[in-house]
Formats: sequence, C-alpha cells, structure tokens
Amino acid sequence: MQRQIAKQPKGAAGGGNKKSLGSRIMKNKIFYLFLLPAVLVITIFKYYPFLTSVYQSVFNWNGANVHIFNGAKNYIDIFQDKAFYSSIYNIVKVCLATVVINLIFPFLAAEIVTNLNGKRKQNFFKMGFIIPMVVPSMVVILLWKWILAGDYGVLNMLLGAVGLDNLITPWLATSRTALWSIIAINFPWIAGLPFLLYLTGKQNISEDLYEAADLEGAGLLQKIRYIDIPLLSSQRKLVITYMLIQAFQMFDQPFVLTSGGPGTSTLTPALYIYQRAFNYNQFGYSSAVGVILFIIVVGVTLFNQRIMKESDNMG
Amino acid sequence: MRKKKKITGALITLLAVVLLFITFYPFCMLLFGSLKNKMQLVDNPWFFTMPMYFHNYEVAASQIMRPIFNSFVVTGVGIVLTVLFSALAAYAIAHSDVPGKKIFYFYIISLLMVPGFVILIPQFLVVRDMHLYNTYLGQILPPTANNVAMGVMLMTTFFKAIPGSVIESAQVEGCGPVQMFSRIIMPLSKPIMATVSITTGLNLWNNYMWPLIITNGKDVMPVIVSITRLTASISEGNGPLFAAYVIAAIPILILFAFASKQFISGLTAGAVKG
Repeated sequence: MQRQIAKQPKGAAGGGNKKSLGSRIMKNKIFYLFLLPAVLVITIFKYYPFLTSVYQSVFNWNGANVHIFNGAKNYIDIFQDKAFYSSIYNIVKVCLATVVINLIFPFLAAEIVTNLNGKRKQNFFKMGFIIPMVVPSMVVILLWKWILAGDYGVLNMLLGAVGLDNLITPWLATSRTALWSIIAINFPWIAGLPFLLYLTGKQNISEDLYEAADLEGAGLLQKIRYIDIPLLSSQRKLVITYMLIQAFQMFDQPFVLTSGGPGTSTLTPALYIYQRAFNYNQFGYSSAVGVILFIIVVGVTLFNQRIMKESDNMG
Repeated sequence: MRKKKKITGALITLLAVVLLFITFYPFCMLLFGSLKNKMQLVDNPWFFTMPMYFHNYEVAASQIMRPIFNSFVVTGVGIVLTVLFSALAAYAIAHSDVPGKKIFYFYIISLLMVPGFVILIPQFLVVRDMHLYNTYLGQILPPTANNVAMGVMLMTTFFKAIPGSVIESAQVEGCGPVQMFSRIIMPLSKPIMATVSITTGLNLWNNYMWPLIITNGKDVMPVIVSITRLTASISEGNGPLFAAYVIAAIPILILFAFASKQFISGLTAGAVKG
C-alpha cells in the first residue's frame, strides 16, 4: 500500500526533471530560501575573510590608517624572521609528540578497560576516563598551570617531598622544559577523543574472533597483536588526522601559560599570527602568515590523505 | 592455566586503577583546593583538609556570575542558530531537486578543513567593521559559520537515510516544503539534532581564542576567557580561583550526567569531520 503511494510522486518528480531549468528553479525557490542562512554566514565569515586575507597579505597595514601596497615584502620578511621558523619547529615537535602519545596511551587504556572482567567494572572505568573529557580544556590548562608552577607548583612540591630536590625546576619558565611541559599537560593523556574512538572500534570487533583465538590458545598479547592492532587501523588513521589538525592549531596553552616564551621556545604559528596582529599592529604581515600556513595545511592534508590511501591499498 | 588467568586479571585491574587515579587525581586536587585558604594550599595541596572555606565560592561567584550568564547566552543562541541553519540547508540538499544543490553542498563544507586561526585576523576585521566588536552576535556568528558547515555535513547524511517513501507519502497528503520540514523531518531527526547541539555547544562553551580577541571587559565576555584573567588576592590565595574553575566546568558536567550517551556520540562526531 505504502509503496503504491510512494511511486506516484516519484513519477511526477521525474517528469519535473524534463522541464526547463528555469521552471525547476521557480518550482524550488523555497529551497533556496532554506539554503540562504547557511550560505550567507559561511560567505560572510569564512569565504570573505579568507579572500581578504590573501588580498591584505601584500599590504603594509596596521588595521587602521596605514595601508600601503608593498608587494611580496611581507612574505620576504616572514621567511627571514627567526621567530617564524621557531614557531614552525615547535609545532612540528608538538604535532609529532601528540600523534605518538595518542597512538599509544589511549590505545593501551582502551585495551586495559575492555579486558577487565565484568561489564560493570568495564563501564565504571570507561566513565572514569570519559568524564574528564567534558571538563573545559581551559580549566585543564589552568589546573596544570598550578601543577607546573615554579613556586608552590604541585609537581615541584612533590619532587621536594620525595627528596628529588635537584630536579625542581620552574617548568614553564625554562626554555629547555617549557614546550615539553605543555605537551605533558593532561598526563597520562587518556581522557580524550582517541580513547573513545579506540573503545568504539574495539567494541565493533566480532566476539567470534576472540573465541577462535582462545581455541588456538592465543594469549592476551597475541590477541592484541594479531586481532586488535590490524583491525583498528581505520581508528588509528582517524586519530592521526584529528590529532594533527588539533595540534597544529595549538594556541590556548602557550598563550595562557608562557606567552610563547621563554624566548620563542613555546611560540606556535597561531600565537605568532596573534602577536603580530594585536601586539605589533602588523595586520598585513599577519595575514601573509595566515596565507603561508593555509598552504602548509592544505599540503599536509593532501599528503596525509595520500599516505592514508596508500596504506589502505597495502593493507 | 586458570591461575595464570587470575593473575593477568588482577594485573589488568591494578593497571586500570593506577591509570584512573593519575587521570583523576589532579581534578580532585582542584576540587579540594577550591575549598582551602591560603595557608592550607601551601601546607598541603595534596589532600582534603578541614575546615572547608566555602567563602571561596562566594568570592568566585561574585567575579564570574556575569561571564557565566554570557556563556549561556552565547552557547544557547549559537546552538539554536546552528541547528536551524544546518537543518534547513541539509533538508534542501537531501530532499529536493533544487538545481545546483551539489554545488551548494560543496561550497558549504569545503572550507571546513581550514583551521580557524588562519583567517583569524580578517575575520576579526570583518566583525569589527560590522560593528559587532564586543557583542554577543560578534561572538556567535563566526563560530556558527564553522559549526553550520559541520552540521550540514552530519545532517545531510542523516536526512538522506530517511526513507523516500515517508517524504513522498507526506507529499501526497499535501504537505508543502515548510510543513514537511517542521512536521516530518525535524521530529524524525532528534538524534542528529542532539549530536549537532552537543558538538556546537561544547565548541562555543570552550572556545577561547575567538572571544579573547572579540570581547573586552565583562559585559559580554564568556567565562572561559574570564577565568584566565582572575588573579589571586594576597589575603585569600588561589582558593577562589580554583573555585571559579570548578564553577566554569559544572554546567557541562551536569549536562553530561543527564545525556551521557548523546554526549559521547557528539564528541565522536566532532572527530570524524576531519
């Protein structure tokens, strides 16, 4: 019955396709109204700024009265600025460290949680690792500001209490340790999206495989090695892509904890753009940095997709 | 064999306990710390100590009351706009034969992979020139552009899975596009609306960089920015600061307690877009 009803309008719609484009547009004009709000906000707040940033990148511009065309000068200056290079160097370190950390720790935690005996126990630990994920990241950053502080920092007090006084350091104020301290935030790095992804991935692996492995006499480590690691490859790819995007945009931590210092030891590209615009009023220069970073992002994304595809073909 | 299994089981449980402890304990310290006075914090940051200084929460609340309210406004309005805009566009893309709908879809989602900070400066200037500096709308609209792009992507997939027969039988009964949207599509789409609301809400509540540059002073500043501006008073120490951090986290934790399932799918959806 339902099917019969369904067929009629489908035929009508097919007939509509034969009509001229103009009449199809007229017939559907209400739908353009539906599309309008989304298209409008995206045009005004994404495409338009994106295009202006390309345009402004060839101007010496302070955001107000000074606005002089200066060709490629911003770009040349950027490539001669040591601070720009150290921001790139730092972000590469952050990206690599973040990816490695998130391939290991949340995966191990997901293995541990799913191998606990008893559903209730598993759910308890699952929730335990998920709840910290919904704490605003800024609260986590500020909490770690206290942990890593030089005077009365929790970590230093702990080191003092166990007699390791010689390790006491102003973690965020020493150029050798500042970047690694920022990376250390959220240790042991479990309460994050990757944990959730591995967990759902593991829950989708058929129970039969483990039973078959049991019959063959495989131990836990062998099951992880020969079942989980191969079958979670799509989760791993997602984690790599997602963490790269996240890490590349790092701004909040260095802005709040170190302002990019000491020196430029924790400067990131996002922070560099911010400082050039709002501390030095170099809006044209800052736009040019944005353009360069956009090109880098597109390049890395394409490269990443390619590698992911190739590993698909191989696996 | 059985004995070995028991030992492995105990070992796994032990590992889980240790990891959970390390993950959770800093948050416990924050909670304990929010109830301590200056001396207690210096003497013993580790454990819960008596007496408890609830006064810290009074001090904190008086400082971040307005920012909390602002965060609710920004997050609430942002969610409504995002869900509405995304659902309308996704409906047109999934269930109409509008000429050019594929181009529109591509146009809407294609800048999704550009990280926000790349266009931070021109975005700031656009909003400033629209006289939206230091307003709620100025905080809401640019992130909404991002969230709508993701919302359209998620909702289009969901809407396409609604069987054509449902739509068509409604059409036969004389349902126009507007009624179709409000009476058929929206009620069927509660799960995806929950997902998009949660992703959007978390983005807006936690957003730091955008409100940092687009707000000034307490009138419209959200709580996440204002907690970074608090300074410890000499007499009270860090206690009130910690209390403020706890307060800033509570609304989301409460929501999570009521809708943990939807939260988890919302969190995961945020990753898959990339």
